[in-house]
Amino acid sequence: MTTYQSLLLGIRSSGAYFISTFLFGVMFGIAASSAGVSDWHSMLMSASVFSASAQFASLEFWQSPLPLGTIALSVALVSSRNILLGMSMTHHFDGHSMTKRIILLFILNDPGVVTSFRLDQSVDRLGYVTGYGIALMFSWLCSSLLGLNIATWFAQADLGSLDFAGPLVMATMMILFAKGSKADPTPWIVSGIAALILFEVGTPNYLILILSVVIGVVAAVARGRFKHA
Amino acid sequence: MLEQYPVLVAIGMMAAIVYATRLGGYLVGLQIRHIGWLRPILEALPGCAFMAILVPAVRQGNLVEIAAMACVVGLMWKTDNVVIATVVGMAVLLLGESVVGV
Repeated sequence: MTTYQSLLLGIRSSGAYFISTFLFGVMFGIAASSAGVSDWHSMLMSASVFSASAQFASLEFWQSPLPLGTIALSVALVSSRNILLGMSMTHHFDGHSMTKRIILLFILNDPGVVTSFRLDQSVDRLGYVTGYGIALMFSWLCSSLLGLNIATWFAQADLGSLDFAGPLVMATMMILFAKGSKADPTPWIVSGIAALILFEVGTPNYLILILSVVIGVVAAVARGRFKHA
Repeated sequence: MLEQYPVLVAIGMMAAIVYATRLGGYLVGLQIRHIGWLRPILEALPGCAFMAILVPAVRQGNLVEIAAMACVVGLMWKTDNVVIATVVGMAVLLLGESVVGV
C-alpha cells in the first residue's frame, strides 16, 4: 500500500475519534472562552499545539500574570507520553526521508498511533498516522471554533468537571491500546499500582510519572527474562 | 483580558514543548532501536505512561468523575466504540453534578 493510500486509510479510519475529538474540541472552546482566552488565541493554540490534554491543562493556570513556568511544566508532564508514543513508532516510519518524518511528527496523535498497531504490515504507518492526524486536526479546529461561538450559552453553567475530560479521553485510548496491542499487560498493571502507591504517599506528580513508568519498565524486563528462562 | 505578548509567548512555548516531546521520543527511539531487548520495553512504555497519568487522576476524582470513568472503561471494553463511551462518559460528567450535587 502506498503512502497516499495509507494516508487515505488513516482519514477513513479516524471516524470514531473524529467524533469524540469534535466533542472535546467543543468543550475546549467553551472552557477556553470561560477562562478568558480570546477567540483567535484559542484557535491559534488549537492549530499550533494540537493536544487536548496539554490545552486543557494550560487553562487551569490561565490568569494574569500568566505563570509561564507552571504552564510549561504542566504541558510537559501531560505531554510526556508523546515521548513514549514517538519511541514506539521508531520501527514503523522507515523508508521515508528524515525531513518528511520530522515535519509530519507535528501531527503525531495518540489514536492514530494506537490504532496503527492493529494494521497489517502492508500499510505505510507514517502515511496512516498522518492521515489520521489531518482528520483529527480538522475536527479539532472546527469544533474549537464551534465551542467558542456557543460559549455564551454555557456561561452560567458550572464546567468544573470538564477538567476530567482529559483522563476520560486517555482511558478510551488505554483500552484501545490494551485490546489492540499484543504486548504483555503486566508492566501496565504494575505501573498503575506503583502510581497509586506513590500518589498515596504524597509524591509530586512529575515523580509519580517518572517512577511508575520506570517500575513498569523494570517489570517488562523481568517478565522478558522470566519468559526466556 | 491578558496582554497580547505574554499570551503569544505562552502559546508558542506550549507548541514547542508538545512538538519537542513528539520529535524527541522519535529521535531517542532511533538511537536505541538496534538494541533488540529494548523492543518489549518500548511496547510497554505507552501503556505504563497512560496508567501513571490515569491512576492518580481517578484517585483524585469525585464520585461523579469516578462513575464517568467506570462508564467509559466498561463501555470501551464491551463495545470498542469510542463515540458511545465518550458521549456516555461526558453525559455522566455534566449531568451527574446536578443530580448528585457533588
